[in-house]
Amino acid sequence: MNAPDRYERFVVPEGTKKVSSERDTKIVNAASFTIEREDHTVGNILRMQLHRDPNVLFAGYKLPHPLQYKIIVRIHTTSQSSPTQAYTQAIDDLDRELDLLKRSLEVF
Amino acid sequence: MEGVSYQRFPKIKIREMKDDYFKFELRETDASMANALRRVMIAEVPTIAIDLVEIEANSSVLNDEFIAHRLGLIPLVSDDAMGMRFSRDCDACDGDGQCEYCSVEFHLNVRCDSDQTLDVTSNDLRSTEPRVIPVDVASRSLASESGGYDSQERGIIIVKLRRGQELRLRAIARKGIGKDHAKWSPAATVTFLYEPEIHINEELMETLTLEEKRSWVESSPTKVFDIDPDTYQVKVVDPEAYSYDEEVIKKAEAMGKPGLVEIYAKEDSFIFTVESTGAIKAYQMVINAIEIIKQKLDAVRLQDSEEPDMGELTQHL
Ligand SMILES: [Zn+2]
Repeated sequence: MNAPDRYERFVVPEGTKKVSSERDTKIVNAASFTIEREDHTVGNILRMQLHRDPNVLFAGYKLPHPLQYKIIVRIHTTSQSSPTQAYTQAIDDLDRELDLLKRSLEVF
Repeated sequence: MEGVSYQRFPKIKIREMKDDYFKFELRETDASMANALRRVMIAEVPTIAIDLVEIEANSSVLNDEFIAHRLGLIPLVSDDAMGMRFSRDCDACDGDGQCEYCSVEFHLNVRCDSDQTLDVTSNDLRSTEPRVIPVDVASRSLASESGGYDSQERGIIIVKLRRGQELRLRAIARKGIGKDHAKWSPAATVTFLYEPEIHINEELMETLTLEEKRSWVESSPTKVFDIDPDTYQVKVVDPEAYSYDEEVIKKAEAMGKPGLVEIYAKEDSFIFTVESTGAIKAYQMVINAIEIIKQKLDAVRLQDSEEPDMGELTQHL
């Protein structure tokens, strides 16, 4: 009776930002990105792609609670880069990988 | 920093392709990508399914909601789903979810007037959009066009009626995803396995008698190894049959021959099996999944306004 609506899992509520970032107060070049209405699908590919970046010292994600439909991606980089730069780079790289995958499939 | 890329360059090789079955190899990427594809095919590739049912008359033995539920589970041809609107985002009907951009209307009107039990099936659903019909109806009409085999086969049974009973209803089909309700999932099964790499220590293997070889080969619950009838050598016949059960490794140890075989899972090679409900062709499910992941990634890009360390970044430059 008090179960949340099913669409709550993937529809970002009005007035909420899809992505918000928060800089770490203690460590330089570290930040957390809160991504609303995403789960392991996006969290894990982002994390693994970030690990390929040599300037990324730490990249991890967590799904804080199964009924809180958001993930938190934490990134710590060297001074050669920044969390936002690494984050954007990871998305760009994944996007290109998917483009390549799509093109190689569409041949058939 | 411009031009730096840590992109992977995956390769795809197709093994088998049928309308509702697709087997392919995905290489030179990692498990996160393979798993994202699998998860998205199951839960986020959209299809069309009946979502709202208005019962006008129902004197069958099944209650209204039972019938509505059964109607929802009938797979509908969803080739147009990617381009369709979700009712919740549709501005043409303002949340009503019944306009031509975000819905397809069905009618069903069946009455039994004989002593024979009447099956109400997916065949009795009348669609207002010829491109969106039950998949079994579509495949039967295709089969009857091209030679007409088995066109008498019945459809998916919704309910059975006896004399005097009737079912009359209007149904609205909408675009949706498996995350919302499993009826919208185009996937019957989507699985991937790590390609196994099997190395037999030939030297050690030759210290085994034929009888020992047989009992070792038979210790595997799946048929991975066999004995060559001419040379009596143990060979790998089907590496992919190996289910990482480690039975052959334990057997070798029990026989006092540790290291007889070494088996690794290749961490960058995956063999996918995709089975579709028929709503979308299995091959198209993969293409759509790739497109959906791209859309998801695009949605999680940072907006210019919310980059906390932009100042720092310009300092570096
Ligand atoms: Zn609409």
